Amino acid sequence: MLDLRMLDYVYTGWGAFWATMFMFVPFALMAYWVIRRKSLVDTGPTGLQPSEFAPLEGIWLTFAFIFFVIANLASLKYIPWAAASASVNGEPEVQVDFTAKSWSYDISNRQIEAGKPVRFSGRASDTQHGFAVYHPDGRVLFTMLMMPNTAKPTSVVYTFTEPGKYKVRCLEYCGIAHHAMQDELTVVKSH
Amino acid sequence: MSIASTIVNGTPIFGKIFSVDRSTGLEEINAWPALMIMSSFVWLVVAGLLGLVMPTTQIFDLSTDHFYTTLTLHGAALTFPFSFQLMMGVGLHRSGGCVGKAVTGWLPALSWLSMNLGAAILTVAVLMGLKVSVVVMFPLPLVGAQMGVWSMESVIVGFTGIYLVLSCMILWYPLLVLKMMFFGKKRAELVLSERSLNDPGMLGMLLAAVTLILTGLPLVVVGTTLLLALYKILPMSLAAWAAEPVVFQYAFYLFAHNLMEAMALMVSSAMYATLPLYLADGSRKLYSEKLANLALWILLVTSVTSGLHHFITFYPNQPAALSYWGNIMSWGTGLGAAISIFTVLATIWQHGLKAGPGIIAVLVGWALYILDGASAIVTSNIVWTYQLHGTMWQSGHFMTVILAMSMMWMGVLYHHYPVLTGRKLDPALGSLYVKMFTVGAFGAAITMLAGGAAGMPRRFAAWNQEGWMIYGDLIMVFGLILGASFVVYLYNMMKSREISAPMGELARA
Ligand SMILES: [Cu+2]
Repeated sequence: MLDLRMLDYVYTGWGAFWATMFMFVPFALMAYWVIRRKSLVDTGPTGLQPSEFAPLEGIWLTFAFIFFVIANLASLKYIPWAAASASVNGEPEVQVDFTAKSWSYDISNRQIEAGKPVRFSGRASDTQHGFAVYHPDGRVLFTMLMMPNTAKPTSVVYTFTEPGKYKVRCLEYCGIAHHAMQDELTVVKSH
Repeated sequence: MSIASTIVNGTPIFGKIFSVDRSTGLEEINAWPALMIMSSFVWLVVAGLLGLVMPTTQIFDLSTDHFYTTLTLHGAALTFPFSFQLMMGVGLHRSGGCVGKAVTGWLPALSWLSMNLGAAILTVAVLMGLKVSVVVMFPLPLVGAQMGVWSMESVIVGFTGIYLVLSCMILWYPLLVLKMMFFGKKRAELVLSERSLNDPGMLGMLLAAVTLILTGLPLVVVGTTLLLALYKILPMSLAAWAAEPVVFQYAFYLFAHNLMEAMALMVSSAMYATLPLYLADGSRKLYSEKLANLALWILLVTSVTSGLHHFITFYPNQPAALSYWGNIMSWGTGLGAAISIFTVLATIWQHGLKAGPGIIAVLVGWALYILDGASAIVTSNIVWTYQLHGTMWQSGHFMTVILAMSMMWMGVLYHHYPVLTGRKLDPALGSLYVKMFTVGAFGAAITMLAGGAAGMPRRFAAWNQEGWMIYGDLIMVFGLILGASFVVYLYNMMKSREISAPMGELARA
């Protein structure tokens, strides 16, 4: 059985890093080996006909295609809006509304209970802003993009599991004090 | 002597590096490209120095204003007057020799002028205080002026500069490429290496030119409307639709995203054209031209709409269906890359490689482009983008794609340089450049991706939290190596020696 906790790690920022390396490193080694060998060690033509490459071509492209499909299908359950519909059946959603304005946030509720699905709905009142919630260990849990004048607020659903202080940062460049546009959410144990 | 040659010869230091060899009768192909290439390297020096200022302001805790000023200038200089202009110069030189037509007249002049004048005007605007980053972040320019952070004049000046740069990329340059492909008379004495449109080396250029025009048109309409309103020629009420953030952003990214893809098509076709010239068995043939063309077509078809991945975290304002579409199309470009990987390696495996600094630079740039492609499709996945959008990952991806394409063009330029100037480069310095570039570029790229994975925000003047400064220090180190590699590249050209053989012969060899 596939360990689902491993998948939890794959679909984080660092998981993305290793997924990129998984695609790049074997390619880089292969390319280095081929280029080195055919320019220094054995520079002559191989005499292989294109038809002899065909099976390899098929295998390579099929492998790439299957990897692409699996990497994306396996990610589906982590989509913050797909999780929304699943969560509705269990706990009721907690609503957190916010407005982003250069360079601060107006947040309806900064204290959140762990274990309850939270729907974040936000708007930007002047220019584009972001709303990224950081885990206390420093990684991004999710980020949102808001533009002024939209019909609906930008929204995601997220369920916190661990109590602690969660930093909020704006990740859309919004001018000279962009880096100071920060806030904090407190997640408390559910009672 | 043409105007272009006159300007090159009159430019201090750089003029000497790129002064055209006029003994060959090829001046009509050489002059404007030489001027464009020279100008691109002037901007590279500017962009490179600014790039180093960014980590410096953070490491030494200087004013955050300096960071946002250099951020805007560095991004703009690197992307447009350096990278795009280098592509114009080398690409036009290449297509001139492939179709046997002169690169002369008002189109090359207008392309060069609008790019460099536009970039210079934009620079003035940024120095006047406009700090909006390379992607403008609309409506930030207007909001900043309303808040009194910068002046409305700087916005008008900045938009004028951007508009000129866009006119070069969306209109003058692609029109010039199309004109050379389909109009005018072929002159036998200008044909250096004949190619047809079925050749992947030409097909990519054609697709790129068409992509630039078509995907740029909405932005031209929106941009023209806004600029007319800023100049008060059009009442603001009539321009309000174009000033809607959503309208501007979608028009902007439809173009910005496809600008990168068009540049990728252009450089891929240059690689498919250059690689065969360096095969050990002299066969001058790709493993499969059909497969190479297929990769270009896949890249074109998938990339047109994959730019929707820029707005995934805007849900539900960008509907889920469009985000899934952007996600799938982005990974579709990966299939094009997989085909390109197979074609290039099979070609080398089949025919052997006469390795030299030029072709190795092209291949290293291509490998960097594959790394970039992998990082790009990963961050186009809906789940991953929710954690990476707006982090250093994106800066890493953007910088890497620009560096990869520039490296490939610099490799192709290594091949063209003797034809252009009648002088030959030192292979030892050439391979030193390739080695230093490889360490600097891959190091900087991987560091920035790691910074993004660790949550380090992009365009953010306070790296000194959550332990992010280590990535900043590493960016500085690799940036210095990268900068030094460019110095070696230019030094090599400065020290190049006259070739004794008649150039006309050499060019055709
Ligand atoms: Cu903000």
